[in-house]
Amino acid sequence: MIVFIARRLVISFFVLLAATFIIFVLTAFAGDPLEDLRQDNSPQKLTKIAERSERMQLDVPVVLRYLGWLGRIVRGDLGVNRDGQAIAPILSDALSATLQLVLAATVLAITVGIVIGIISALRQYSGFDYTVTFAAFICFSLPLFWVAVMLKQYVAIEFNNWLKDPVIPPVVIGALALLGGLVFGALTVGDRRRRLVAFAVGLVVSGTLFTVLSVTRWFADPGLGTPLILAFGLATAVGFTALTAGLQYRGPLYATLAAAVIGAVCSQVLGPVLADPTWLEIGGLLLLTIAVCLGLGYALGGLQRRQAMTAATLTGVFTGAMVFLDRMLQAFSAYSASVRHRPVSTIGARTPNYQGDFWQTGLDSAGHLLLPTMALILISLATYTRFSRASMLEVMNQDYVRTARAKGLPERTVVLKHAFRNGLIPVTTMMAFDLAGVIGGAVVTENVFGWRGMGFMFTKGLQEVDPGPVMAFFLVTGTTVVVFNMIADILYAYLDPRIRLS
Amino acid sequence: MTTPPNVPIEPRKGDVHTYDIPSTILDSAGDVHVGLQRDAVRPPSEDEILRVENLSVEFPTEDGVVHAVRGVSYSLREREVLGIVGESGSGKSVSSMAVMGLLPKSARIKGQILFRGDDMLKMSPRKQRSLRGRKIAMVFQDPMTALNPVHTIGDQLAEAVLAHELMPRKNALARAKEMLDLVGIPQAEARLRSYPHEFSGGMRQRAMIAMAVINNPDVIIADEPTTALDVTVQAQILEKLLEVKDAVNAAIVLITHDLGVIAGMAHRVLVMYAGRPVEIGDTDPVFEEPRMPYTAGLLGSIPSLETSGGRLRPIKGTPPSLINLPTGCPFSPRCPLADEVCRTAEPELAETDSGGHFAACHHWDRLAAVEDPTVFFRTESETKA
Amino acid sequence: MTLSADAQAPDSGAEQGMTIVARTQAQMVRRRFFRHRAALAGMIVFGLVLVLAFTSVGFAGIPGWWDQSYITTGALVNQGKPTLSLAPFTIGEHPFGQDDIGVDYFAKTMRGAQQSLIVAFLVGIVATVVGAVVGAVAGYYRGRVEAVLMRVTDVMITIPVLVIAAVLGRRFGDAGVVPLGIVLGLTIWPTMARLLRGEFLSLREKEFVEAARAIGTPARRIIFRHILPNTIGVIVVSATLATANAVLLESALSFLGLGVQAPDTSLGQLIQEYRTAFSTRPWLFWWPGIFIIAIALSINFIGDGLRDAFDPRQTRVRA
Ligand SMILES: Nc1ncnc2c1ncn2[C@@H]1O[C@H](COP(=O)(O)OP(=O)(O)OP(=O)(O)O)[C@@H](O)[C@H]1O
Ligand code: SF4
Ligand SMILES: [Mg+2]
Repeated sequence: MIVFIARRLVISFFVLLAATFIIFVLTAFAGDPLEDLRQDNSPQKLTKIAERSERMQLDVPVVLRYLGWLGRIVRGDLGVNRDGQAIAPILSDALSATLQLVLAATVLAITVGIVIGIISALRQYSGFDYTVTFAAFICFSLPLFWVAVMLKQYVAIEFNNWLKDPVIPPVVIGALALLGGLVFGALTVGDRRRRLVAFAVGLVVSGTLFTVLSVTRWFADPGLGTPLILAFGLATAVGFTALTAGLQYRGPLYATLAAAVIGAVCSQVLGPVLADPTWLEIGGLLLLTIAVCLGLGYALGGLQRRQAMTAATLTGVFTGAMVFLDRMLQAFSAYSASVRHRPVSTIGARTPNYQGDFWQTGLDSAGHLLLPTMALILISLATYTRFSRASMLEVMNQDYVRTARAKGLPERTVVLKHAFRNGLIPVTTMMAFDLAGVIGGAVVTENVFGWRGMGFMFTKGLQEVDPGPVMAFFLVTGTTVVVFNMIADILYAYLDPRIRLS
Repeated sequence: MTTPPNVPIEPRKGDVHTYDIPSTILDSAGDVHVGLQRDAVRPPSEDEILRVENLSVEFPTEDGVVHAVRGVSYSLREREVLGIVGESGSGKSVSSMAVMGLLPKSARIKGQILFRGDDMLKMSPRKQRSLRGRKIAMVFQDPMTALNPVHTIGDQLAEAVLAHELMPRKNALARAKEMLDLVGIPQAEARLRSYPHEFSGGMRQRAMIAMAVINNPDVIIADEPTTALDVTVQAQILEKLLEVKDAVNAAIVLITHDLGVIAGMAHRVLVMYAGRPVEIGDTDPVFEEPRMPYTAGLLGSIPSLETSGGRLRPIKGTPPSLINLPTGCPFSPRCPLADEVCRTAEPELAETDSGGHFAACHHWDRLAAVEDPTVFFRTESETKA
Repeated sequence: MTLSADAQAPDSGAEQGMTIVARTQAQMVRRRFFRHRAALAGMIVFGLVLVLAFTSVGFAGIPGWWDQSYITTGALVNQGKPTLSLAPFTIGEHPFGQDDIGVDYFAKTMRGAQQSLIVAFLVGIVATVVGAVVGAVAGYYRGRVEAVLMRVTDVMITIPVLVIAAVLGRRFGDAGVVPLGIVLGLTIWPTMARLLRGEFLSLREKEFVEAARAIGTPARRIIFRHILPNTIGVIVVSATLATANAVLLESALSFLGLGVQAPDTSLGQLIQEYRTAFSTRPWLFWWPGIFIIAIALSINFIGDGLRDAFDPRQTRVRA
């Protein structure tokens, strides 16, 4: 295994090296770096040209320039751009925003895409399946920049306007209720009667939900409150228990219910800690939650200890996430007021010079990330959905799934233990490919939303035929792709013992 | 259609086959392979455990409805070995999958599958699941793909126990080890932690057998359990299957293409053609005096020591499409005895000889009239010679 | 599990059997494709767009039937709003409106679509040829050849397509659509190469290839005569998908100002050009967008239909 990783590492290094060479040379030949100066009519024209030629070493052959660049990189020096500014500080400014965007989009696309893909596969030929398939095709065919501009124009501006007086018009409630009904109906398998019942349930539930949200003007000052957290927590407790251990035995159920209750109680008890925490504290709380839940599962799980520990941990983490969300939502009205009631931002990666507590700065990032992520996620989401659906369909037809059924295992075990694990294996190979696509998408998205991130650095550098910034961009993104590739390989080996043990 | 009544089988020790004995069950010395003798195992009892009554299965597909199984009936007594033979696509697997409840949702199943008198097709899914793997277990054809590559053998065996009985994992693993010992896998303790890819084909099939018997089932359905294996291990696996069956007191439905195996192992045999049962009865009478030309053709197509030069005489032609079935006897396009009657009316399964020998053929009496029923399938040159 | 044609093919002589199977296979493919309703719709839409784009404003010196030019300005009619209306159906003088200096926007959009389509086709062809050859050679020869070619592919995959395409687009964007299409094709072949290598790796072990090798058929002939025809499904499907992706890639590049450059135009370039006019003249943004989506979506559906037709098990997935 270690040999395997080491080998991959060495190969990846040389692959990356070759790629930097290609990009460097192509960028150097991409145009005339002096173009703007040649059209300059100022008296210093010639001195400017001489100065820039000198700085960019335009008289040195490209290969030597590349070697020079490589030599500097090895010493940790990113060099200067064509105007003489050091690249390192520009890069460090650009880095975090872009990586946040790329990682948020990737993680969301992977999780949501896989879940949708699997449900779609398990419900093959249902209304849901057809809808998902069609939506995926639309996503594959949408130009990213076009979607981004539309989101910016309609979603951001209109949504912000609406938030000033968040009453949902009856027509919209009707439409949302209908949508809810359709989703419920499409997800149900069975005869027409069962689907109609599901449709009606969905209609009523979502209709009521949105009416209540509208009447109480929930969006103006949102939040969940402990009772709601408890209710969600208990629901997830039952759900995760049903998924992992089944509901006919008590032990695992008690463990998850206890996890949910403790989580909800903590949302009250931990008030002072949660008032203005740091990320470190949040991380500590997460670890604590996991430890407590594992303990609960161990103590209460009985003969189904393993399943109970998994289910309790999932419940605990989910309840914790609800508490987190609740706090964030509670900070919303103050945040919204501080940005002149335009919480969904369309420009930049953060509000300049914004001061606020943990929750408010968190909201600020979220508000800025929302639209670019939505735009960026579309293609990846479609890719993961299609890919995991196909993979799952293939796996569900395998002999070993039939064997699992022949043993009399319950369907949840057949799907989660036997099919899902195998279905994930090909999806891991998709990850590195997709990340490269997301990075390309980030370049476009940043352009639309006016982020001064890495994408901006790249396009600007390229327009100016300036290899320095372009290479800095590529070093980071190329390394990210390579690292991600490694992670995917390791994950692959973890999931598939045939690779791991050979 | 009626189900053939159960007739007790007298163990006939040292019985001499008067008919061509397929070479596959003879060892190099020409003796009948001892391990494969059904007479070596405990005889079946009178009690019926599984009864399939007029089972039919259809699959609606894009090209039309596939009539995969049409009116199969058989019964199985405790400890009995029932062989099912028939060409590829004759519905052997589909009918046994129906018994296991493993057919895809699109399948339309009719008839009755009675396990100790309860109709499995009418049971709740939960009840059905509690029988599956506990009372009725299955061994599949291809051990290479039938085991999950990402879980250990021990885990896959233990979960078969845990699916039906809540107990500490430790105990389930101990039971798994016992089973691996039973099927003859050395170092069972260590092997529990192996993954399927670390096993050879024969070992995997042993593991599959261990998995099938781990809950002491009453019925084991073995669907071509040795087809995917090396010839040298085939006999070992079958031997093991019989040994294990005796250990847990189970009956076996054995599906195979190998008539030799049936001759050696099965108490009774069911011959299927194009989704229909065409002949059923005790193994020896059926093989010695087939009453349906298809069975005779099958017997004639096996290489045997007595036919000159081990010459193969395959039945000409292919089975009919299961979507557009011809009228009349489905075998008529390929049958040397076919006439106008055969092409218009489909023969019913009817008792031809006493002792529960049933066949579906209009002209079974013509087969009865000749000494060697495979004669109809001889090529012209052979007949002349 | 479905019944396949060859399973039921009569068991006649080998020679004859082969031709029967081959014919039924082609027929099956065609039949399955035309049964795929989305693919059929995609085919119709794509055909319409193609005809509209190439005949309306003329192409390669041949004049079109649309009487307005995509270059000359005119007086602004009704502030340049589109005159197209569905009920009652009228086309009007400027169905898609006019841009800020009075150029007919229908003509401009058609010209843009033309250019975008040319780029897409070129990308599709170049990527398919390069990818197929690299994949075939790597898959057939194995060993060192494969290692080298696959490392080259790895290098290409490490660089996000948009990045290398942008770098090349910066250089070739103003040289016209043909050079641009060719160089963009050179950026997206690795996907095809990987797919085809996989196919070759499995096909080269098949009996008919072994047989050909045994009787001394030269490698080039085995690759192109024996194996390649068997991978036609994979090639056709991924060529289609590559073309759909190329439409999006070209428009994204042009949008970034790194693809087709004014005064030449393309659908992406139009959106880039009028992006600031969104609040005042939204139609300048809508029309090219709609055409990009229509082209990409219809090609994607055609691709899906082809995949179903060639591989009814629906297990193959796009990479
Ligand atoms: N899910 C399905 N959908 C449509 N047709 C099916 C399905 N499953 C099986 N069939 C068809 O039913 C028929 C009987 O198949 P079955 O697998 O029972 O044959 P078999 O006798 O077991 O053959 P073999 O000896 O090859 O295993 C075949 O023609 C097969 O194509
Ligand atoms: S019924 Fe006729 S066609 Fe069918 S097997 Fe008997 S003789 Fe042959
Ligand atoms: Mg079978």
